[in-house]
Amino acid sequence: MKRDKKITQLAKKLVELSKDDNGAVTEAKVSEVLAGLKQVKHRHHLTVLKSYLGYLRREVALQTAVVATPSALSDAALKEIEANYTKLYGRPISAVTTQDTSLIAGVRVHVGDDVYDASVSGRLQRLAENVH
Amino acid sequence: MKALFITLLFALSLPLGLYSAEDLHVVSHDAADAVAGHAEDGGVISELAGNFGITWPTLIAQMVNFCIVAIVLYKFAVKPIVATLDERQQKIADGLQYAEEMKAQLAAAERERAEKIKEAAVDAQRILNESREQSKEMIEQKTQEAAAQAEAIIRKASEATEQERKKMLTEVRQEVARLVVATSSKVLSRDLSDTEKSTFSESAAKELASAGN
Repeated sequence: MKRDKKITQLAKKLVELSKDDNGAVTEAKVSEVLAGLKQVKHRHHLTVLKSYLGYLRREVALQTAVVATPSALSDAALKEIEANYTKLYGRPISAVTTQDTSLIAGVRVHVGDDVYDASVSGRLQRLAENVH
Repeated sequence: MKALFITLLFALSLPLGLYSAEDLHVVSHDAADAVAGHAEDGGVISELAGNFGITWPTLIAQMVNFCIVAIVLYKFAVKPIVATLDERQQKIADGLQYAEEMKAQLAAAERERAEKIKEAAVDAQRILNESREQSKEMIEQKTQEAAAQAEAIIRKASEATEQERKKMLTEVRQEVARLVVATSSKVLSRDLSDTEKSTFSESAAKELASAGN
């Protein structure tokens, strides 16, 4: 248990080291951290790497706005979404788009565990849920 | 009894005493009577006594014998008889008194029995009245309880029916809504053009982009 706690703390510090000056996780920083880990050769190297990967994924998910839409969005709209959520969460948010035809029309944005839905199917679903 | 015996003794000895007194009187006055020639009565008595063989020694002896016999009889016959009679009389008196007491006690017992019977009848009547009152109250209470239970059962059944109705209504609404949503989704998916979808998506993106501001 104590060992797990130390590994967790180490993984969190590594994630912090993986961020650039803006607080965004960058590939270059992650490469540097991995190189450092390779040099240090921690006694529980694999465990540290797994923990680091988990926290890194969570951090990337927190910094990524997954915009689901049935059709392609304009770059301006994506920029607006990035700017809005960057301001809203107080950290750099980058938007990536995915195609989801089940939405019919509109967009659905995932930021970490948060979901913002402005799709036709979502509205219809909420309408159905509100009918009692 | 003792007085009776003494009276009898005096009655028996009285003629002898009179006779002796008369005889003495005759002796003391013989001379005078002889002189006066009036000795006719005393002479007759003396003559009769002489004819019956009564003489002073015999009379005295008989008197003594009589007294002795009387004393002996009194001592050994009359006294025990008197005692026996007194005892018997006392027993009879006691028996009569006991009978009177028993009669009084019987009357008292009879009165007590009658009072107790009366009290028992009153108690029985009171208990009967109380039992009737209690049974009446119990019947009323049970009736009220049964009415309350019936009312509760009816109320619960009504509530259950109402809940069931609401549940069915909700299910129907949800099913209708689900069908409407499914139909709408299919219709919108089929009828919306790509341009319309893109326009709506841009509009939704702008809506989300401006939501936090």
